[in-house]
Amino acid sequence: MKRRLLIMVALIFMLNTIIFAQQPKTQNSKLKIQNAWVRPAAKGANSALYFVIENNSIKTDTLIGAESKIAEEVEVHESFKKDNDRMGMRPAGKLAINPKSEFEFKPGGFHIMLLGVTKDLKIGDKIEVVLLFKNKGKIKIKAEVSDMPITKKMKQ
Amino acid sequence: MKRLSIPFILLLIYGCREKLPVVDDFKNSNYKLINPNNQEVIFPDFVKGKLVVMNYIFTNCPDICPLSTNNMRLIQEQLKKEKIDNVQFVSLSFDPEFDSPEVLRKFAGIRNLDLSNWTFLTGDKSTTDSVIKKVGVLAVPNDSTIFKNGRKIYYYIHTDRIQLIDPEGRIRKNYKGSTINVNEIIADIKSLQ
Repeated sequence: MKRRLLIMVALIFMLNTIIFAQQPKTQNSKLKIQNAWVRPAAKGANSALYFVIENNSIKTDTLIGAESKIAEEVEVHESFKKDNDRMGMRPAGKLAINPKSEFEFKPGGFHIMLLGVTKDLKIGDKIEVVLLFKNKGKIKIKAEVSDMPITKKMKQ
Repeated sequence: MKRLSIPFILLLIYGCREKLPVVDDFKNSNYKLINPNNQEVIFPDFVKGKLVVMNYIFTNCPDICPLSTNNMRLIQEQLKKEKIDNVQFVSLSFDPEFDSPEVLRKFAGIRNLDLSNWTFLTGDKSTTDSVIKKVGVLAVPNDSTIFKNGRKIYYYIHTDRIQLIDPEGRIRKNYKGSTINVNEIIADIKSLQ
């Protein structure tokens, strides 16, 4: 009887561990996402998400992608200068976040591209996006719809 | 004294004109374009007599074009604050195959833009191409994304531009749309009034 109980407890513990590991983390002391904001977009159009990643650990982590129910596709993109006054945009691939550093996703630079948003993103609305890191796994962030950067430090 | 002051005044007038030389001139060029209400407008005829602040966009652009559009909004707000009128804002799409009047209407609507003196324009591709060629804007399709349902959208490499056009339809100055100094264009607008 005791043995069965022990096995049950061990199974429950293992199950909890697995479920917890798969849940997106909303806060992580070593890797913080701050000042997240997203541009307005009508349903079906595209938007861009910006934020600052703070890596307070002594190890490099890598942003490998993002996912959200708010858009048909979610990609990491980068705006780039082609020449004197021409600009373009391209997929950015994986991005290394160096230890003890900040990495800023900002207008005119790196951004998370939300392609084909599934509802109107009106100024003041809030959306959820999950960022996928190689080491830290999933981090869920909330972003406010705004037409300009949110500068106050909004910790996720 | 009077003899001396006349050349001085002429020099001053010439100097002021030179501050914003004519970059290009629409002259007798007119283009049939479509506004978000599906109405045909003749550009630049419909804005003649007004100073025009114009940018060139495509709505699938999530970063640079919204930046430029937001800067247009900031210029518009500053002009309102300073009670400067007779300025018309125009945003022309160089991706008219995607940017229908309805798409442009939604693009402006979701941003709560004040459309009392701001018109978004689209048209047939050959016409919008002619306009951007005339004003020196380049827009070339580059990367693309294919959605799960097969829908494909293109991203353009494009000139990032806001342009100041005088009431006679002459282009007076080009600015970088995404990083324009609002105070600079406000000062330029005042100098042309």
